[in-house]
Amino acid sequence: MKILIIEDEPKTGDYLRQGLREAGFFVDLVANGTDGLHHALEGDHDLVILDVMLPGLDGWQVLRNLRGHQRQMPVLFLTARDQVEDRVKGLELGADDYLVKPFSFAELLARVRTILRRGRSGTESTTLQVADLELDLLRRRVNRAGRRIDLTAKEFGLLELLMRRQGEVLPRSLIASQVWDMNFDSDTNVIEVAVRRLRTKVDDGFPVKLIQTVRGMGYVLEEPDAR
Amino acid sequence: MKWPKLTLTARLTVLFTGVAASVLLGFGILVSWATARHFVELDRIYLDDKLRLVEKLVTEATGPADLTATLDELLDSHHGLFAQVWVDGQRVYGQPDLRANAPASSWVPEQITEWAYEGRELRGLAGTLRPLQGTTERQDMLVWVAVDTAHHAHFLDTMRKKLAIYLVAATFVSGVLGWWAARRGLSPLKAMGKRATSVTAHNLQQRMPVASVPVEFAELASNLNGMLDRLQQDFQRLMDFSGDLAHELRTPLSNLLTQTQVALSQRRDPDEYREVLASNAEEFERLARMVSDMLFLAKTENGIDLPHPERIRLHDEVLALFDFYEAVADEKKIRLVLHGQADMDGDRLMIRRAISNLMSNALRHADTGTTVEVSISSTDGTVRLEVINEGPPIDQADIPRLFERFYRADRSRAHPAAEGAGLGLAITKAVITSHGGEIQVHSRARQTRFTILFVRSRFTTGVSKPQ
Repeated sequence: MKILIIEDEPKTGDYLRQGLREAGFFVDLVANGTDGLHHALEGDHDLVILDVMLPGLDGWQVLRNLRGHQRQMPVLFLTARDQVEDRVKGLELGADDYLVKPFSFAELLARVRTILRRGRSGTESTTLQVADLELDLLRRRVNRAGRRIDLTAKEFGLLELLMRRQGEVLPRSLIASQVWDMNFDSDTNVIEVAVRRLRTKVDDGFPVKLIQTVRGMGYVLEEPDAR
Repeated sequence: MKWPKLTLTARLTVLFTGVAASVLLGFGILVSWATARHFVELDRIYLDDKLRLVEKLVTEATGPADLTATLDELLDSHHGLFAQVWVDGQRVYGQPDLRANAPASSWVPEQITEWAYEGRELRGLAGTLRPLQGTTERQDMLVWVAVDTAHHAHFLDTMRKKLAIYLVAATFVSGVLGWWAARRGLSPLKAMGKRATSVTAHNLQQRMPVASVPVEFAELASNLNGMLDRLQQDFQRLMDFSGDLAHELRTPLSNLLTQTQVALSQRRDPDEYREVLASNAEEFERLARMVSDMLFLAKTENGIDLPHPERIRLHDEVLALFDFYEAVADEKKIRLVLHGQADMDGDRLMIRRAISNLMSNALRHADTGTTVEVSISSTDGTVRLEVINEGPPIDQADIPRLFERFYRADRSRAHPAAEGAGLGLAITKAVITSHGGEIQVHSRARQTRFTILFVRSRFTTGVSKPQ
């Protein structure tokens, strides 16, 4: 997977490149709009991460030009100003998602993976499996090592998300938004409590702990030795 | 009228002087006209008198010689008096050329006429006489008297000159007086201006003098004072706010700095580095959240993010939030209860956030094993939503400040990282205010109740979505 980052702030650009590389992507980094547009038109990137405030051409112009040249690769834009007009403008111009600075890297990574997954409409299986944990989407049942685990509706939703994105660190804000449709931060550590309770049901009594906390980033579900 | 750039004092002075000059001028003209009239009247009486006297002498005269003698005697004793006597169109007495310049109307009896004679200004009067004694035949007799008006003219001339000098002097004096009065009258304005220049950001407690200025300025002064009061309040709030913000930022920043520097001070194993970085990430998240909350607050309070109205079923929103807080409530063995339902118009995300903060607050302060209750009702277009929890009551002294930014009732308690920055209730209030609603708190006897009052359909008529 190739990602093009167009970002003029050197530090931001560098850490984005490093982070995405370490997450297994091939990354090109460009520091201005003119070069960025050129790279995007010439290259075969699967995703463009685009800063709005850029020297040369600004993010909007780059995006408009790209779409004008029939390049339909997904674009995620970064903006420092959380203005409704900005969001609306970006999405109208054909961007796929946006993030407001400052954002957490875990959030960015999760969004990038969501966007890249969107294109592939693989055959959806009705069961999800990680190690000895099984989740049946149709019957809405969870088994671990053949033992039935009773979950509430939201716990089921949370586990489903963690299993679908197994191996990915999911930030709290993404979990709140995907499972509960809460697109803001709560004063209370709701996600922490919810994950802790889910973990009690899923992991307690089993030697292998599947749900892990990545401090400062979020939660991940995976087999421990896979990491 | 368009005034050039004159000071108010100059304008008032000019006006005052102009008015004084025209009043004085009018007065002078009136006086001199009246005096002249008066002299004419005096002359008429004098001439009338002398005419009668001459008539008498003419009537009593025994012959032409006698007449001449008596008339000469009369004229000698009255300086500046002239006379002529005519009988049947023939002059019998008086200088021949006396009437050389006299107008034709001077023949008309009982009418004053004026003319010049030998460099004198004469005023004359004519009169007809009864026939002389001893003669039976009808005779046309005419008597003429005239008086020299030189001394009158002289007097009038002098008086007019004096009047003119007085007028100029008085105008000048009233101009000076006007300038002085205007200056004095406007001096309170000057004082207010001076006071105003001393008002700065650091010296906002200065006020305009209200008691010492004239009534006309008192209202202006008190209005200005009202403005200063409001400015000072807002400024104070802003100052407090930046102070609070700096303080709130300082704690996480200093944590980050110390932690990082301690970590760098010696070689450590990777796990220790990981620990430090993770801890830093948590602090950074807190900072980022605080900044975005501040931004949200600023935008909501300043009406930049106008609510995008849609119909909201409050019941559904609260149930969604119950789902969200279910795990937290379970941990504290708290029951979540919802009564009632109402629809309202508002921005779904903002309303949800506002209620979420109230619930988060209620759950945090509720006693273990109690009930957190949300009750929704509506009457006459007003929607009421209450969030009630049982637990230690809020100190009455804290209630007025509860919705201020960064205000925490319990200052001493170190807040855990998961807890908000003390912006939750401020955000709630800002959202409610931006929806035209209000929020109240009642806290007593182990029960705290937050009540939100909304107007149900504030946006249904004349909704204008922001462009």
